[in-house]
Amino acid sequence: MADRSISRETAQRRVWAEQVNARAKSDGARVTYGGAEPFGGESIHRWHLGNGLTVLVLVDASAPTVAYHTWFRVGSRHERPGKTGLAHLFEHLMFGETENLGAGVFDRKLEESGAETNAATWVDWTYYHELLPADRFKLAVKLEAERMQRLVLREPQVASEKEVVANERRYRVDDDVEGVANELLYKTAFEQHPYRWPTIGWMEDIQGFTPEDCAAFYRTYYAPNNATVVVVGDVRERELLSAMSEAYGAIPSQTIPAEDIVPEAPQLAERRLELRKPTASEKLLVAFKGPALGDADHATMTLLSEVLFGGRASRLYRTLVVQRELAIETRGWVSTFRDPGLFECWNTARAAHTASELQPVLDEAFERIRTEVVSDDELARAKARLELGSLQQLETASGKAEQIGFFETVLGDPAHAFRRVEAFRRVTAGDVRRVARRYLVDSTRTILRVLPEPSAAPEGVAR
Amino acid sequence: MSRVRSRTVDPQRFDLNGAALAILEPSHAIPLVSVVVALRCGSATDPPGKEGLARLALRMLRRGSEGLTSEQIDFQIDVLGAEMAVDTSASTVAIHAQVIARNTDAFFDLLARMLATPTFPDDEIERIKRETVGEIVEARDSDRVVAQKALQRTLFSGHPYGHNSGGTTQSVEAIGREDILAFYRRHVVQANLVVGIAGDVTPERAPALAHHLVAGLPRGVATADEVAEPAMRSGRHLLVVDKPERTQTQILVATMGTSPRDEDHVPLVLANAVFGGTFTSRLMKEVRSKRGWSYGASARLGLDRHRQGWVMWTFPAAEDAGACLKLTLELLETWVASGVTAREVSFIQRYLVRSHAFDVDTAPKRLHQALDVELLSLPADYFSEWIARVNAVTPEAATAAVKNRIRPDDLLSVVVGTAAVVNDSLKASVPRLADASVVPFDVE
Repeated sequence: MADRSISRETAQRRVWAEQVNARAKSDGARVTYGGAEPFGGESIHRWHLGNGLTVLVLVDASAPTVAYHTWFRVGSRHERPGKTGLAHLFEHLMFGETENLGAGVFDRKLEESGAETNAATWVDWTYYHELLPADRFKLAVKLEAERMQRLVLREPQVASEKEVVANERRYRVDDDVEGVANELLYKTAFEQHPYRWPTIGWMEDIQGFTPEDCAAFYRTYYAPNNATVVVVGDVRERELLSAMSEAYGAIPSQTIPAEDIVPEAPQLAERRLELRKPTASEKLLVAFKGPALGDADHATMTLLSEVLFGGRASRLYRTLVVQRELAIETRGWVSTFRDPGLFECWNTARAAHTASELQPVLDEAFERIRTEVVSDDELARAKARLELGSLQQLETASGKAEQIGFFETVLGDPAHAFRRVEAFRRVTAGDVRRVARRYLVDSTRTILRVLPEPSAAPEGVAR
Repeated sequence: MSRVRSRTVDPQRFDLNGAALAILEPSHAIPLVSVVVALRCGSATDPPGKEGLARLALRMLRRGSEGLTSEQIDFQIDVLGAEMAVDTSASTVAIHAQVIARNTDAFFDLLARMLATPTFPDDEIERIKRETVGEIVEARDSDRVVAQKALQRTLFSGHPYGHNSGGTTQSVEAIGREDILAFYRRHVVQANLVVGIAGDVTPERAPALAHHLVAGLPRGVATADEVAEPAMRSGRHLLVVDKPERTQTQILVATMGTSPRDEDHVPLVLANAVFGGTFTSRLMKEVRSKRGWSYGASARLGLDRHRQGWVMWTFPAAEDAGACLKLTLELLETWVASGVTAREVSFIQRYLVRSHAFDVDTAPKRLHQALDVELLSLPADYFSEWIARVNAVTPEAATAAVKNRIRPDDLLSVVVGTAAVVNDSLKASVPRLADASVVPFDVE
């Protein structure tokens, strides 16, 4: 029954493709149907334009809204030393003037339609998103197509936006203890891979960008064949494709340069460092080298992190925060990067305690999970928490679009959110112990202690 | 004028045993059920010297109930695929929870037990107090939080809205078991509760679930709102919160706004959106787009049972702090002197009307609107007639609202920064400054 239904869907979409292509003005504007992908009880439909643009559509009429997300396969991993932060600066510049839209018009047109818009950049990707009333979706099509090919990059715009980004950096990093610590952690843990520099960029690099740097970056990476548009909401698919064919069809594809990434060499010795900051509480960051998002071990490591750090009933929360009252906070995160990243363990000591007191408790927990199997109750608890978290990410059209775009861009699998939940369900206690033994290896870890300093003492880093 | 119509906000409402009120908003879009158990009182009822009591008392419900330890409750919440948090404001304190739909019955059993049979163990009370004090100290790492707390206690000095809902280190330490028991007995009663349920539950099942939650509680009486209208101190005041090694400042400029029942409330909402409510607002355009001085620049009108604050926020580099504060005060004065134009009002009406779809696109959002009406004593049609109210605002009414409510000569400016670096330039940037003071960042 399901197969016949998919087959009808496919036939219908082939008819739509013929109808759209009959009006296409160039080969780049021709659309091809790439098939359906189950997404929970719904379906993602994959389309391609002749110029290489991928379009993923999930029709969801539960609310009169449309989420329109444009994901580019470019992030800070594509930068080079001396030019860090360019991908993120560029994200800001994309809201500026285009050949057909004056400064501020992009935002103004969207606001006038009641739409919300923003963007984000990280190590592997950059994405731009709009949330519109359903009857306004064509505005997003036009505006996104316009700025994919006709952005104006001149000195005044670049200079002003560099200043905004410098202020963003002060806010998120320089005046934020956790921001500085995170930056230092990755700078120390990675010595070859671009994950060693921050996505927002080093301040001196931000201040040094020229319009020429930005123009070269735009020409290289902002091409339809380096992008995926994800549309989720109360939209008529054929009408959407027709509008996209017309708006994007004339944008030429580009030759995207092959990545020039140096894989991180295995870490053979533990790295330790200290950071002094004006803070009331010491912090201890322990980060092991972790699996890539596409690695089969990633789901298991995520589950391990839940057992140790997820919620008040987790092992380390119980020990550090509840029973021994050494910490005010403890949390873990397995980085969701395309290449192997970190398993970060963040801990904040209580005012009367030190980071040094936390270390042996963490070490004991790591040793225990390497040697003993977790209980059925712990496994069930962690799985239920992860299932809840997965469902919460799919509550809105924007949430679905983000999940689809993220997994498509990083793994080429738009429905991976559901495969991941299945993977969590399959994890056994033995699996958890196996990944603990594989990844919780002392020689691959970096330990950063953040210590309070008197305000008069010089700020700095000591290794 | 836009022809966009408001989605009727009409969650089902039920009296539970003639006392508690239940608001139900079913939706089968995703297999999750959200539940809110809210009290008709919040941090404004905290006794002097025991600020933080309302929040602490509700957080204690998961620290032990008859037959269940704190650890067992935490485990049960997790293993059911649920999460639970306590949210506190001046007018309400509430448990917000969400659960995977297949475990709804079991989770409501647990929640009902937690509500009806808390044991308030002494050791758990002492533990949660130490945790809370630790959280208060830790929050000082965030300049934004430090700024907001300083603004709240200074703008509403001597008024219950000046209470920090989490309390201070001293006030939390002063709270005893008797205080928590007294709060629980007085306020966690059916007549003082509003229960909200949204999500994947049938309209037939939801009332029984709501009944089940409150069945173990005494009927009691609702807590009366005895909060007086707050008043704005006259004159221009500057408070610098001194924190070492800041490269940046957090600048909040505030005065009193409106009560939601004031005639000019919605006109002021529109005028504020023109001034600082969107990315293309006057404030954003001048501070960020033209000068690049601050990553963000916005203005917000608080919403509560009584008049709340109107607050403008920027966060420029330390070297730009004085110039940025001066500019924003000039923009404010121009706004008050000249009001808003017909074109601006027309633009912002289109924005507010068309973006309304995002205020009601999920069942939990629709539920929270209905809860706000009940808990903040908003006019019954505050949200359901929102679009009509917005469309009815004239440029003259919006301008009059700004002139009547925003007093440029009665302003409080709070700045978190390194005082030695920014104090002189800040003082120089505020004309007609009545007084200026500096306090350390860990003052409460």
